[in-house]
Amino acid sequence: MTKMMTVLKAWEFLSENQLQTVSFRKRKESLAQDLVLLCEENGVSLNDAALLDIIYTQFHWHQRVWDVFQMAKEPGEDIDLSDMEQFKSSFKKILQRALKNVTVTFRDAEENAVWIRIAWGTQYRKRNQYKPAYVMYYSQTPYAFISFSQLRSNTPLLCQALTIASKHHQIVKMDLRSRYLDSLKAIVFKQYNQNFETHNSATPLQERRLGLDINMDSRIIHENRIEKDRVQRVTQDIFGDYSQPRLEFAQYKLEIKFKSDLNGGILAEREEPLRCLVKFSSPHLLEALKSLAPAGIADAPLSPLLTCIPSKGMNYFKIKHK
Amino acid sequence: TARTLVPGLSVLAHLEKLETQVNRSRKKLEEPQGAQAVESSLGTKIRDKLRSEVKQRQARVAVRDTSVEPDQTLEISEQKAWERKRENVKAILQAYRFTGLSGKLTSRGVCVCIHTAFEGTLLDSYFVDLVIQKPLRIHHHSIPAFIPLEEISAKYLQTNIQHFLFSLCEYLNAYAGRKYQADQLQRDFAAFLAGPLQRNSLCNVLSFTYKVELRGQAFTFCARLLYKDLTVTLPTDVTVTHQGMDTLPTSWEEQRASHENLFCTKALHKVFASFTQREKLDMSLVH
Repeated sequence: MTKMMTVLKAWEFLSENQLQTVSFRKRKESLAQDLVLLCEENGVSLNDAALLDIIYTQFHWHQRVWDVFQMAKEPGEDIDLSDMEQFKSSFKKILQRALKNVTVTFRDAEENAVWIRIAWGTQYRKRNQYKPAYVMYYSQTPYAFISFSQLRSNTPLLCQALTIASKHHQIVKMDLRSRYLDSLKAIVFKQYNQNFETHNSATPLQERRLGLDINMDSRIIHENRIEKDRVQRVTQDIFGDYSQPRLEFAQYKLEIKFKSDLNGGILAEREEPLRCLVKFSSPHLLEALKSLAPAGIADAPLSPLLTCIPSKGMNYFKIKHK
Repeated sequence: TARTLVPGLSVLAHLEKLETQVNRSRKKLEEPQGAQAVESSLGTKIRDKLRSEVKQRQARVAVRDTSVEPDQTLEISEQKAWERKRENVKAILQAYRFTGLSGKLTSRGVCVCIHTAFEGTLLDSYFVDLVIQKPLRIHHHSIPAFIPLEEISAKYLQTNIQHFLFSLCEYLNAYAGRKYQADQLQRDFAAFLAGPLQRNSLCNVLSFTYKVELRGQAFTFCARLLYKDLTVTLPTDVTVTHQGMDTLPTSWEEQRASHENLFCTKALHKVFASFTQREKLDMSLVH
């Protein structure tokens, strides 16, 4: 309920007094009716409603799945001398020129970011306001975060509009997808580790011990202490001691030939490669992977296929037999 | 070291320790009895077996060590190259520590800190953590995404670390300076602005509408500042136009032209500070 209030307040369309007249403890349907009446009192327009939709999405981005697209300029290209207003007007013009039936709404956000909501229609169909696409874009950067509500037949047009409006030359869909928009942002902008060793830090980060308590009872001796230390060190070298960006899965599409120590066998003789899909799922995949070796479930170091996820900015992999 | 090459050694050493302790405590009691004699002979057998095992392992390790030598010499020269690169970066940081560049050596390279400043005011600091390997690479950083870090790295990182750091310094200081000017304008001179200041991430395109009062007359001007060079803090192109239907009187046309010149040569907030001063002077003359 308080979240609904936060969203409505951020909308700034209904006044404080009006909001106070609404009881949020009512049943959803009657609450909705009350709000609709208030909106009509204020003469709500489609644009206002679209804005409210954006604000709701800004507070609930985890309810959608986000793809990441990367744009590139030609080498030696001139510096981008457009401001945000030019970007927005250019983007809208391109879409409206191609599809007369389209609603485009913008909302500026912090750090030079803009949220865009696009409701699609066709020549013969009305715009579908219930299945819009959302774009989050940080101006003058090569990355855009896009979430579609339905079939992606409009992807090429949306990509074209983005590329041209932001003065880039090409756009590629990255193999990176997640609900956690903030983690996607941290990964592509390489902002997931903001612990830097400076003159002020007392001990080098690597030397801090993880886990093993030196003050424990001296009668308890850890067997394999050396191995445990090695595992901790290797894990820290790879994952660092910062919190990992949050992803829900990593998917590996394999197209490989069967390898076996035993000679022969039907599978080994097979000409065509085997195709299979391996998917790792977790509420917090990277933290889970980080804890595997210290928990004794896997060897350290882990396979680079797993540890390269944040540095490569990928959680979809295609592995082919060389 | 032998310890890391023989993982089971700690277990064996521990067993030996226990065994020695048992012997010591038995000597204290001074009761050589039948059962204990059997136990002690068993214990001795185990201990001897363990000892011979350990000796065998150590022998194997010694052989491995000698056979590994040629690789080790290769490792040493790589190690030397790594150290040389590290010392080089250290020297650069040492030499330029008063120009806002500082750093700390890390276990795998160096973490460089770039402190930005504009006309004596200290602004944000940015970090680049470099891993000294072949090829040299950036481990992580806090550089904003709209700074062309990839472009600068592609040009200089592998061939000339000094140039890489300087170029990055230039871009960051210029960006910080432009941002500072825009922030100061919004903060201290909002009274002059007729609308919001329009800017972009790099603060290299600034548009604003401002009103100027002189001798009882007020006019609104529209200014657009372009910084085509990302390493400068003064605009490369300035256009000031008159907002309004009426044509500008000659004296005001001169004002407009002088404003264009001012924006090109003075920091943005300083230009508005001079407007404030002039208005104050104007007011004092009138009264």
